[in-house]
Amino acid sequence: MNATESPLGLLVRVNALSAWRRVLGLRQQSRLLVAVIGGFLVGYLAFAFLLFRLGLAFIGRFPGLGSLLVERLLFLLFAFLFGLLLLSNLVICYTNFFRNRETAFLITAPVPISAVFQWKCIESTLLASWAFLFLIAPLLAAYGQLNRVPWHFYPATLGLVLLFVVLPGIGGAALAIFVARWLDRRAFQIAAVTGVAVVLALLAFHLRPEPASDEVLEARVQSVIDRLLVNTGFAQSPLLPSYWLSACVLNLAEGAVKAAGFYALVLLSHVLFLGRLALIGLGGPFYGAANTVQSRASAFSRWGWWQRLEARNLSTAAEIRRLWLAPAGPGESCGAAAHFGPVDRLDRVLRWAGLATDVRALVAKDLRVFWRDTTQWGQTVLLFGLLAVYILNLRHFTRQLDSAFWIGLVSYLNLAACALNVATITTRFVFPQFSLEGRRVWLVGLAPLGLVRVVLLKFWLAGATSLCLTLGLTLMSGHLLGLEWQRQLYFGVAVTVMTFTLNAIAVGLGAIHPNFRETNPSKIVSGFGGTFCLVLSFFYILASVIALAMGSPWGWRGEETGPVKPMVGWAVFVLLSVLSGWVPLRIGLRRVATTEL
Amino acid sequence: MANGPKFCPPMIELEDLAKHFGDVKAVDGITLTVPKGEFFCVLGPNAAGKTTTIKLMVGLIRPDRGAARVAGYDIQAQPLEARARLAYVPDFPFLYDKLTPWEFLRFTGQLFRMPDRRIEEVASDLVPRFNLEPWLHKPIESLSHGTRQRVAIASALLHDPEVFVIDEPMVGLDPHHARVVKDTLRERARRGMTVFLSTHQTSVAQELADRVGIIHRGKLVAVGTAAELHARAGTDGALERAFLAITEGEQETVPETVG
Repeated sequence: MNATESPLGLLVRVNALSAWRRVLGLRQQSRLLVAVIGGFLVGYLAFAFLLFRLGLAFIGRFPGLGSLLVERLLFLLFAFLFGLLLLSNLVICYTNFFRNRETAFLITAPVPISAVFQWKCIESTLLASWAFLFLIAPLLAAYGQLNRVPWHFYPATLGLVLLFVVLPGIGGAALAIFVARWLDRRAFQIAAVTGVAVVLALLAFHLRPEPASDEVLEARVQSVIDRLLVNTGFAQSPLLPSYWLSACVLNLAEGAVKAAGFYALVLLSHVLFLGRLALIGLGGPFYGAANTVQSRASAFSRWGWWQRLEARNLSTAAEIRRLWLAPAGPGESCGAAAHFGPVDRLDRVLRWAGLATDVRALVAKDLRVFWRDTTQWGQTVLLFGLLAVYILNLRHFTRQLDSAFWIGLVSYLNLAACALNVATITTRFVFPQFSLEGRRVWLVGLAPLGLVRVVLLKFWLAGATSLCLTLGLTLMSGHLLGLEWQRQLYFGVAVTVMTFTLNAIAVGLGAIHPNFRETNPSKIVSGFGGTFCLVLSFFYILASVIALAMGSPWGWRGEETGPVKPMVGWAVFVLLSVLSGWVPLRIGLRRVATTEL
Repeated sequence: MANGPKFCPPMIELEDLAKHFGDVKAVDGITLTVPKGEFFCVLGPNAAGKTTTIKLMVGLIRPDRGAARVAGYDIQAQPLEARARLAYVPDFPFLYDKLTPWEFLRFTGQLFRMPDRRIEEVASDLVPRFNLEPWLHKPIESLSHGTRQRVAIASALLHDPEVFVIDEPMVGLDPHHARVVKDTLRERARRGMTVFLSTHQTSVAQELADRVGIIHRGKLVAVGTAAELHARAGTDGALERAFLAITEGEQETVPETVG
C-alpha cells in the first residue's frame, strides 16, 4: 500500500486482506470439521455434475428434439437465474449501502463518494453472485463434457459468466438506490404492490396448467412439446442479457466462434457502457439515498393507519406512565391500558396452561423479536410460501398421480422438501440464538431460570413453531395426493420427528460452537459451526428420507410388503434422529451448564 | 477550565441547522461558531439531538435547512476538502476486525493520503501514548472495547486533523486511558486543533472545555463558559447543577434514536 494509491484500490486491498485472514482462520478450526465441510462441497459439485450430466443426456436423447430441448433449458435457466440475481443484488445492495457501518465510516473519510459507492457495489455483486457461480459450474461442466468441447470452452465460459454477473450487480445497485430514495412515498408503495401483483397475475396466466388428454400425451407428443416451447419462448428474447450469455455458450460449444464472439462482444459492450455509467453517475444519488434512509422515521409514516398506530402507542405509553406514577386504584392494573396484542393473548393461554412467569416472558420476548425482525419472518414466509405454492399445484397432476409409484415418490420428496426448508430456517435463525443470548447474559443468563433451561425452552419453542408449518404442509400435501389417513399419520409423525431433530441439531451445535463476540446473526451462521449445522442437517434429511422410503409400508409398485422392512426403516430413522439430534442437544446443554460466559 | 483563544478563525460553523425525522424535530435551528483551537463540549439529555448535530456536521446526513462548515468548507458542497481536515470518532467506531491495529493505522493514514514515512513517524508517538504496543500486531477482533476505542482515537489523530469531532470518548476507557485521551486532546487543542466533544459527563466538560453548549429538544439552549452557564442558571459549584437547572422540568419526548 502507498500514499498515491487510489481510494478504491486501497479499499479493495484492505477488504481482500480481511477476506484472506478469514480463510486463514480455518486453520484454527478442527481438521475433522474442515474435512467434513470440504468433502461436502466437493461432494456437492461432483453429485450436481453427475445429475446434470444424466439429465442433459436423457433430454438430449429425445428423438429429433433433444438438442432443441437442451438449448431451451439453458436459455430458461439463465433467464431465471438472471431474475434471481437481480433480486439478490437488490436485497444485498440495500443492506450493504444503507445499513452498513463501513459505509458510514467511509462517508466521513476524505474518500470521494463515488469511490465509496464503487467499492460497495463491487462488494455487493461478489456477495450476491458467488452462489450463482457455484450453482452453474457443474451444469456448464456437464454440458461441455457431453458436447466434447475443446478445453478453451471452460475458461471462456468462466470469463463470460464473470462478465454476465456484472449486469444484475449494476441493476441491483441502481434499483436499491431507487427503492431507498422513494420507499416512503405512498405512490411508490402503491405502484410497487400493483406492479408485483400484475406481474404475478401475468405469470400465473401465462404458465397456467393446460389439461392434456391421454391421447394427446401418448400420440401427439410433438404438439405437447410445441406448446411447451411456446410457453417458454420468453427466455429467448434477444433483449435479455441471459440470452447473450446462453447464445454465446451454445455457439462456443458448437464451434461457431464468430457467432459466440458476437454475443460475447454484445455482453462486453453492455457491461462496459452500463458499468461506466453506474460507477461514475450513481455516487451522488447513492449519497442522497443514504441520507433519505437515515432521515426517515418509517417507510409507512405517510399512511393514516400508521399515524393512528403511532398515536395509540404514544397514548398507551403515556397511560402506562400515569398508572405507574400514580398508585393503582382498586381493580386497576398498570398494564390495563396497554394494547392487548396476539402475543399477550398467547401469554394468557400459557398462563392458564400453568407455565411460570419467567418461561412465559422468554416465550413472549422470542416471539416479539421474531415478528419484529423482517428478515426472520420474511425468509420463513418466502421459503414455506414457495413450498405451499408447489404443493397446491399438485392438484393439477391428476393423471400422473394415479400411479402408486409417483404418489410414493412425490410424498417422500415433499417430506424431504419440508425438512430442507426447516433446516434452512433452523440454521439461519435458531443456531445463532445461544450466541446472541450469551451477549445478553447479564439478564437472561443470570436469571433464576438458568441458562440451560433457557436453551431448552428455545428448543421447544422453535420446534413447536416450525412444526405448525411443516405439519400443516405435510398434511396438505397428503390431502392433495389423496393419501389415506394411515399414510397421512405416517408422514405426520415422520415430519414431527424430523422437525424436532433439526431444531435439536441447531440448538445443540449453537451451544457447542458459540460466538459471543458477534452481534450480527448472519455472521454467526456463516462461521464454522453454522456451516457444520447445515451440512449435518442435510445429511440427516438425506439419510432419513432414504431409510423411510426404502422401508415404506406401501409398495412402490402397489405390491404387498411385510412388516420387517417398515420396522427396519423406522428403526434406522429413529436411530439417525437420536444420533443427529439428541446427542448434539445433550452435549450442548452440558456445555451450556459449564460455559464461562 | 482554560480560557479560550481570542480572535481565531472559525473552524466549525453551524448556521440555522435543522433536521427532522418524520414528525420529530431532532435538530431545530442550531447556530454555533467554534473558533480554531477551542475545546468545545456539547452536553444534553438522552435524545436531545447531540449525535444528529454531529452527523450533520461531519456530513453523514444532509440538513433539511441551514449549513455546516468545517475549516471554512461547506460539508455538503465541498465534502472532500472539509473531510480532509476533519476527524470523527463515533461512540461505537467501525474498525476492520480482521486487520491489526497497525494495519488499521496505516490504512487510515493512507485514506488521508499520508506518506508511509509520515504515518510511521506520527504512529511512533501515538502508539506508546495510548499503550497500544502489546496489541499492535494482534487482530482487532481480539481486543477489548477500551483498546478498540484507543485504536480508533489514535487513528483519528494520525493525520493531524484541524477539527476533531468525538462522540462519548470515555465509554469503555479505564481511568488511566481516559486521562491519556483527555491530556492528548487538551494538548492538541493548545496546538490549534479544534475539538468538538459530545458527552453526558458534565465533569468531563467542566474539566476540559473552553466553552460548553447545552442541546435540549434539538435546540442549543445555552452556550458559554462554565461561569457564564452558572450565571445564567443562578447556580455555582459543579457544572452539573447549571446543566440540571437549565434543562430542569423538561420532559423527554424525542425518540431515543435521534439523539
